[in-house]
Amino acid sequence: MIEIEKLKDYANKLMFDMNEEEYKTLQDEFEVILKQMDLIGQIPDIDKVSPMTFPFPNEDVSLREDEVGDYLTVSEVLENTTHQVNDQVKVPRVVGGDE
Amino acid sequence: MHILDKSLDEIHEALKSGEVTSKELLEESLKRAHASQDEINSFVTICDNAKVYDVEDNVLSGIPYACKDNLSTRGVLTTASSNILNNYVPVFDATCIKKLKRNKAVMMGKTVMDELGMGGTGTTGHTGVVKNPWDTSRMTAGSSAGSAAAVSAGIVPYALGTDTGDSIRKPAGYCGVVGFKPTYGLVSRFGLFAFASSLDHVGCLTRSVKDAAYVIDAIKGKDEADMTTFNSRNIQLVDNYTTDVKGKKLFYIKEIVEELKNSPNKEYYENFMKVVDYCKECGMEIVSESIDEVILRSLYPSYMAISCAEATSNNSNLTGIPFGNRQDGSTTEEIMFNTRTKGFSELIRRRFVIGSFILQKENQEKLFLNAQRIRRLVVDKMTELYKKYDGCIVPNSESIAPKFGEKNDALSDTYLLFAEHLAISNFGGFPSITIPSGEVDGMPVAVNISGPIKHDSDVINMAAALEEKIGFIPLNMRGDK
Repeated sequence: MIEIEKLKDYANKLMFDMNEEEYKTLQDEFEVILKQMDLIGQIPDIDKVSPMTFPFPNEDVSLREDEVGDYLTVSEVLENTTHQVNDQVKVPRVVGGDE
Repeated sequence: MHILDKSLDEIHEALKSGEVTSKELLEESLKRAHASQDEINSFVTICDNAKVYDVEDNVLSGIPYACKDNLSTRGVLTTASSNILNNYVPVFDATCIKKLKRNKAVMMGKTVMDELGMGGTGTTGHTGVVKNPWDTSRMTAGSSAGSAAAVSAGIVPYALGTDTGDSIRKPAGYCGVVGFKPTYGLVSRFGLFAFASSLDHVGCLTRSVKDAAYVIDAIKGKDEADMTTFNSRNIQLVDNYTTDVKGKKLFYIKEIVEELKNSPNKEYYENFMKVVDYCKECGMEIVSESIDEVILRSLYPSYMAISCAEATSNNSNLTGIPFGNRQDGSTTEEIMFNTRTKGFSELIRRRFVIGSFILQKENQEKLFLNAQRIRRLVVDKMTELYKKYDGCIVPNSESIAPKFGEKNDALSDTYLLFAEHLAISNFGGFPSITIPSGEVDGMPVAVNISGPIKHDSDVINMAAALEEKIGFIPLNMRGDK
């Protein structure tokens, strides 16, 4: 069984927290999923199967021409935020440490 | 019966003849939406000031529709039913919305869904539980819960939905409407909030198969903004629509039907076998085929592994920094931490932890890659069968819509074959449609038909032939509603 401390560590790395009851539910879910994934591991020669990442190859792919397309004006972009200054979206400081 | 309750063809004719106007249709739709909102809660947003259009030659012009709240709609709140996006108003339209606007379709509201598409009950949206119009003590399933409820209740003739595991087709089945997920890449996903990009599809919920053909014809097409789309000029669902399906060959998956037979839901099994007879009466051949039960039982954990892993990664942009419902904090990290803790519900946070665990280097081989190997095995098997058959038909679920409290979103060991059997078509990108097949205990039951990729027309036509044979009457067309 996965320890709750480990689950907390994963959650915190994902930048959120959960309460004790939620961790317990999650621990139970891991029991189920790991048990089922164990069964998959027992399928003979499963490791020789090539993993599938997409439904089917799309052959209709080409690079588009390097042409100017539709774009948003500054005022359209600013409609999306209440945090703005000097015609720019104001975001919290994301680089550098405490000053 | 109000004109709004008729087929898209008939509504279009009524608009052309002047029997009704787009404004009158919108007013009736809005009236119904408001009247049922307290009872079934289909909508996050009802667009009281939606723009109406004059009728044109195309069938969707001037007719109201509803849109799932994970498709970006310029200037209209788009929350994906999550607190983390409860103030998000996109500055652009999803490609499918743009196409419907070009067709002069009238968007009258945004529908409630399971938060971020990651749930199958219709109970996890931030604005509350969606209730089944057939019986409000029962769930709709999800995640396209509000879209299914709105169509079932007769608020709109069609609604857009999205489908990652069965999110259009399961609620369609529980609510007695048609749900169609076309071939992967037929409809652009640009502007859809991604859940699991390799499994996500845009599709529709309607009251008839032909209506679904009209909607998909209008929104399909290659899109420079979505590299998984393809040129589909040779796929024209309405032009090729026919109920003459003599000579088509279908199979059903023996193990899935056997499980239904051995379950307490005998009447659902009997309903399915009646549909098998209808297939024969339509001139189709139908036989049973076996798929390795170990592979079938592996679908559920494989789906969970792949979808949670992709979702964890796709939703890492929801931090509150560039957009969304930002919470306070003294550092960037604290802002993100508080935003994500408060913004995501418990279910979403649990799914993300599962996804992250699966993607850890030490777990990838056993969990993520093995899940993708199961995906390969089942898709290869279906592709091999589709060389012999035009389609596969299965019961849509193991039961009628459960009552609230009977089922939740926690992973469980029970009914594993039915837990994710419709996801086979997401794994392979196969076109897949659910149609009502009758009633059990006063609730709708349904069958699902899938086919090889890009054979959407065949799937539509086989479903249309069965629909005609079954003669199911949608809820909104029954008596004094």
